[in-house]
Amino acid sequence: MKPSGPPSRGWILPRHELALLAAIVVVFVGTGWLDPNGTYFNAWAESRDIILRNTALLGIIALGASVVIISGGIDLSAGSMVAMSGTTCALIMMLFAAPDDRRLVTVGPLGIAAGVGGALLAGLLVGTLHTWLITSIRLPPFVATLATLVGLRSFARAMCVFVTRERWGSESQQIQVNTPAFVWLKEHNVVVSVAVFLTLAVVTWLILSRTVLGRHLYALGGNEQAARLSGIRTENVKWFAYCFGSLTAALAGIFLMADSSVAQPNAAGRNYELNSIAAAVVGGCSLQGGVGTVTGTVLGALFLRLVIDAVSKLIKASADIYEGMIVGIIVALAVTLTQFGQLMNAGGRLFPGLRGLAAIPTIAVFAGLLSMMGSANVEALRGRTVPFGLAVGTLVLLVLSAVRWWENRRTT
Amino acid sequence: MEPIIAIRGVSKRFPGVVALADVSFELAPGECQAICGENGAGKSTLMKILSGVITDYEGEILVRGRPVRFTRTRDAERAGIAIIHQELNMVEQLSAAANIFLGRELRTPLGLIDNAAMEREAGELLAGLECPIDPRIPAGALRVGDQQLVEIAKALSLRTDILIMDEPTSALTEAEVARLYRVIERLRARGTTILYISHKMDEVFRLADRITVLRDGRHVRTIDRGVTSPREVTGWMVGRDIAGHEFHGQRQRGERLLEIRGLTLPWPEHPRGYRLADVSLDLHAGEILGVAGLMGAGRTELLETIFGAGPTTWTGVIRLDGKPVRFHHPREACAARIAMVTEDRKRLGLFPDLDVAANISLCSLAAALRGGLVSREREEALVAGPIRSTGVKTPGPHAAITGLSGGNQQKCIISRWLLTQPRILLLDDPTRGIDVGAKAELYQLIDRLCREGLGVILTSSELPELLTLADRIIVLAEGRLTAELSRGEATEQRIMEAATAV
Repeated sequence: MKPSGPPSRGWILPRHELALLAAIVVVFVGTGWLDPNGTYFNAWAESRDIILRNTALLGIIALGASVVIISGGIDLSAGSMVAMSGTTCALIMMLFAAPDDRRLVTVGPLGIAAGVGGALLAGLLVGTLHTWLITSIRLPPFVATLATLVGLRSFARAMCVFVTRERWGSESQQIQVNTPAFVWLKEHNVVVSVAVFLTLAVVTWLILSRTVLGRHLYALGGNEQAARLSGIRTENVKWFAYCFGSLTAALAGIFLMADSSVAQPNAAGRNYELNSIAAAVVGGCSLQGGVGTVTGTVLGALFLRLVIDAVSKLIKASADIYEGMIVGIIVALAVTLTQFGQLMNAGGRLFPGLRGLAAIPTIAVFAGLLSMMGSANVEALRGRTVPFGLAVGTLVLLVLSAVRWWENRRTT
Repeated sequence: MEPIIAIRGVSKRFPGVVALADVSFELAPGECQAICGENGAGKSTLMKILSGVITDYEGEILVRGRPVRFTRTRDAERAGIAIIHQELNMVEQLSAAANIFLGRELRTPLGLIDNAAMEREAGELLAGLECPIDPRIPAGALRVGDQQLVEIAKALSLRTDILIMDEPTSALTEAEVARLYRVIERLRARGTTILYISHKMDEVFRLADRITVLRDGRHVRTIDRGVTSPREVTGWMVGRDIAGHEFHGQRQRGERLLEIRGLTLPWPEHPRGYRLADVSLDLHAGEILGVAGLMGAGRTELLETIFGAGPTTWTGVIRLDGKPVRFHHPREACAARIAMVTEDRKRLGLFPDLDVAANISLCSLAAALRGGLVSREREEALVAGPIRSTGVKTPGPHAAITGLSGGNQQKCIISRWLLTQPRILLLDDPTRGIDVGAKAELYQLIDRLCREGLGVILTSSELPELLTLADRIIVLAEGRLTAELSRGEATEQRIMEAATAV
């Protein structure tokens, strides 16, 4: 499978997207079938809403991440931008609310417009700052956005503390947002965020595959020097890419704030930066730049959220705890699979030499421990978690050893 | 005498391509054998097999009579085979000495790295190769020719007696080439067997005892140098007899397009102080101005300065149609209808992830818009013209550009610029790394464009190319203009004299 890089043309999905779609169907059907509680049947509406809402939030940011990645850059700051955006929105609305209103109930339409506008403006400012750091100061994108990843969240907290003290006379690290419009948004969160996500996806698709700017984004990511020498204003293209990246994060930040009825600079949007990059990569974007599609990213985000949901249902554990592991495993697997053909064509081996030998027990130990922990909440395995873990570990050990043995035989 | 390497019935297939088909030939100990072939003839696949990079192939390779099958490069090294790749494999941050001993560093009795011993030994090896550089200098700071000798020194330190060289002169100055020839003679005197891969006939006929020709993955023949001619070998390489193209027909010289006076481009971090000094030239419509010079003479810098792609700190005057201009970005040069085909196609010209059509339409995509959006039909129609007129051989407009040969890729890049309807075309070494047949086609294309009224500035690292195409030739030496020769005056001898006159 080769991820499709060039602007996708026509309606036939490339192989990478088809494979993702198939994987999504498999995971979906598999979860519905294996889930002991049958959640997808008993509580379909609730499950659907959770998956859709999470996918929309992740997807909005992942679209921004894709554009940045396709242009050959990286934006690590999305999670902090989410926090910054929510906080900015809440703080501006606070200034429009009654002085003693600590739940922001009394904010009018003007205040809401100013809050949302301010949050989006913050996105544009941060994107511009990134572009300046990268094109004028010549920081590598990784460094520039690492700085804002660390810096923006702290900045948002400081801003929160300062404004609450000035306005209310007492410091607060978070702000309740019970503005009626946002309460409405919370109640209709799924519909609105999914609609925004899909609209944004269509817009991004149009930009990437049907505009001159989009072509220049691919060209910039594919070969920056050649792009400049072809007369493309690469700095301006980057300006768009980083602003788009920060703007999508700001948008997601407003939804997240509405969803939790609180602006929490300390906690909001943590890990979104890495998960959105993961969704883009699972969707076929190459971190080398120049390769990626909107369809891929949308499917990648859906697939990630679906698997996270599936695992939390099957082993009845909190999705939070397992989320990181799932994302990690899927990213590694997805990229391995996209490169599998090349690896095999080049006569490559999965477990060559001493390193390969050492990797086999390492993987087996992880697999065994994971299955042991994962089986703790499964009815059929209660009290037998240790033997189960040992069995899985041994099985993985045997299978991988067999693969290595076969590889050795084939190459000698 | 028993062959030192015997290649017997070696085949290698990649998906959809046969890279090598049943190739057999032998290498006698101590000989210098040249392998000639166009790009895609299978030369590099063969190299990769001999160096242990490609491990799954059919057929058999015998080294000193024993069958071998290398599974990694170290196996080949152990069998006494070393390869000097066209693109050198250096860790640029490490010193020359560290590069020579990379992976088998000398150690002190305590097990620590013994830099002094390595530097001493590296210095001796390099001195023996007429390369008196300080082995402590980072490899990245060395000239290409010196880097290559560092690689040869590494091969020597491995006690290699079979040296494979892949187009070793492609990035060398004439002086460095001459030095390389002397080094090769010295190695041969020691009994080293050399497999010399090249498609430059003068080198091949100067160095090789025998010549092996590959075409389309097949072995055409192996023949003694004495009983063949460059023309015959070229014919075998391309599978047809190419007549030497001459473009001496009178061209119609038009009005003056470009006038450069006293162009100086400073270079503060270099002891010389300038990249270009006091260069003046004129370019008229309908003529080809050749720019000759050794590597580092300032040819690329001259074109980049005109095109607005280099530093804008230059002084002097550039007049376009009599009006002074100073471009700060290639975009501005495009708008003034100047186009530049850069040297090093892969690094500075191609977009490997974009298809053929997108590579061609890139600079003029605005012409393919319908309602503000790129229209697939309009884009196809837009690129169809230049694809036809430049003769790009592609399966279709949406084929992968990386699947085309070097010559066709270069035609795509020229097509890209023709779509911008330039009046001045800057060509920086446009035929580098392109095989013989495609070169002739490019010559015809460039000649035709010139006759259609374009003003062309052409640089080349091959003098015959300039003598074939150019109406006038200016010669740069270390940033200074040392000669301007009309077609009648220009000979290789005179150009070389001017290029080395510093």
